[in-house]
Amino acid sequence: MAATGKIGDRPLTATTSWGAKGRVSIRATHAIRIGFVVAAATIWESVSRSGLLLHDVVPSLLAIFAAIGRLLINPAFYANLEVTAWEVAASLAIGGAAGVVVGIALGANRFLSRAYEPYVYYLAPTPRIIFFPVMIMWFGVGVASKIALGALSCFFTVALSTAAGMRGIDPVLIRVGRSFRATTWQMALKIYLPAMRAPVLNGVRLGFGTAVITALLAETRLSNHGLGSMVMQIYSHFDIPSLYGLLIVVFVLAGLGNVLLGKVTGDRG
Amino acid sequence: MPEVRNALAPAAVAQARPQLQIDKVFKRFGEGEGAVVAVDHVSFDVHPGEFVAVIGPSGCGKSTLFNIIGGLLDDYNGNVLVEGDRVAGPHPAIGMVFQEESTFPWRNVLDNVAFPLELMGLPKAIRTEQARHFIELVGLAGFEKRMPSELSGGMKQRVSIARTLVSKPHILLMDEPFAALDEQTRLLLGDKITQIQQELQQTTLLITHNLTEAVQLSDRIVVMTYRPGRVKRIVNIDLPRPRTSDVVSSDAFGHYVAEIWADLREEATRGMADTEQRTRGARGHG
Repeated sequence: MAATGKIGDRPLTATTSWGAKGRVSIRATHAIRIGFVVAAATIWESVSRSGLLLHDVVPSLLAIFAAIGRLLINPAFYANLEVTAWEVAASLAIGGAAGVVVGIALGANRFLSRAYEPYVYYLAPTPRIIFFPVMIMWFGVGVASKIALGALSCFFTVALSTAAGMRGIDPVLIRVGRSFRATTWQMALKIYLPAMRAPVLNGVRLGFGTAVITALLAETRLSNHGLGSMVMQIYSHFDIPSLYGLLIVVFVLAGLGNVLLGKVTGDRG
Repeated sequence: MPEVRNALAPAAVAQARPQLQIDKVFKRFGEGEGAVVAVDHVSFDVHPGEFVAVIGPSGCGKSTLFNIIGGLLDDYNGNVLVEGDRVAGPHPAIGMVFQEESTFPWRNVLDNVAFPLELMGLPKAIRTEQARHFIELVGLAGFEKRMPSELSGGMKQRVSIARTLVSKPHILLMDEPFAALDEQTRLLLGDKITQIQQELQQTTLLITHNLTEAVQLSDRIVVMTYRPGRVKRIVNIDLPRPRTSDVVSSDAFGHYVAEIWADLREEATRGMADTEQRTRGARGHG
């Protein structure tokens, strides 16, 4: 339990993470994580074998792993994965880029931020799925409407964290740049960009999560392609082990995507 | 002993042209009733190799003066002349050190100090060599690869000073660089500053509210009045050089401190009374 307390002490804010050597005992953290998975698996398996619940609802882990095996050699899975991955990537690219641009404008210009930021704040927590019918009307039932919805979702996340990052820049650093007569270009590259790096990348990572959620959610609603629609197809056949298998695979993929994004963006050269 | 300098400069000083001339500088913030005159016709000179301190209570317009001389506040009346050049925007001959902690948290010590050289577009080998030289000068050799988050406040401020010195400013302009530090660190850093100033023959203008710091470091002290900020008097500090912080225990040092404090107390008292009154007024309105 002492180790879990330590996890909370780890510096999470962007400003303190620069070069801070607050290493928690990683081994203890890993042990607890593995312990959690083992415990969950044990409980699952014992419930499954006890017959307390319907066997179909809580299938044996072996059945689930067999389903995962079948899934991973199924070409349909890869076709669906490709569709979803494309949707997420396109959403993140479009929504993220627009979010960074708008976030910088809101962060840099007090007038703009006072005028427009309430909209962003009010719209940000609105569940984006309610815009899905509109997107279908505008962009059709195919991939485009999912991309539009995904882009809309991550736009808000990225814009808000970029604006916050822009405003969070220590004003004295800007005065330092000016006192050394940095050009506008040098100010942007050597002061604004590195100072905003952490909050913007954090926004992009959150935006990735939002894009995944939105894409999958939209696919479960109306689609013949993508992992979300595959979940619904499997469910309609009541192939429960495959359903759980797919969910686990999606979970792992989303986690990997997040880790990968963190690796690409988080480690400084 | 301390003497009031009048507008006519002594002949000996007149020969060496002042490196920095502050000439009837005036700055008002706001318009109409709420207008505040921050700096009111302030004039003084700084000569090559000289260390001058501007001292005054909070609210005497010290920081405004700092920003005007540094070119960060270019809407002002009167003239700030650097080697004969009127300051409008940051001047290449002036290097600024700020009161706030101002190292770049994403750069290590070496890259922080090399920053101005990077802006100049110098090749990396030269940047590293020069940055190392100044890191050593401020006594931080061995810390080149450390991040600012790993350094103490005093060390970070020395990084800032090295970063400014590396750009080889003709005039070093500092705004209370030791304000956030404890007294012992402040005295020891004062030694470092004196040593550097003597080594580089660095013309320096220090803005401060700390009396002992001003007397310890300066050749001359410009005492400012509380709002509007005017020059109350200019005091020559004839303490021997080279100096160390040991000087603070000498009789002459005590004499200067007492002398200047008599002036400063008057201004600080006015400042305090004024602040109290305004606070009361603000509450009455609220």
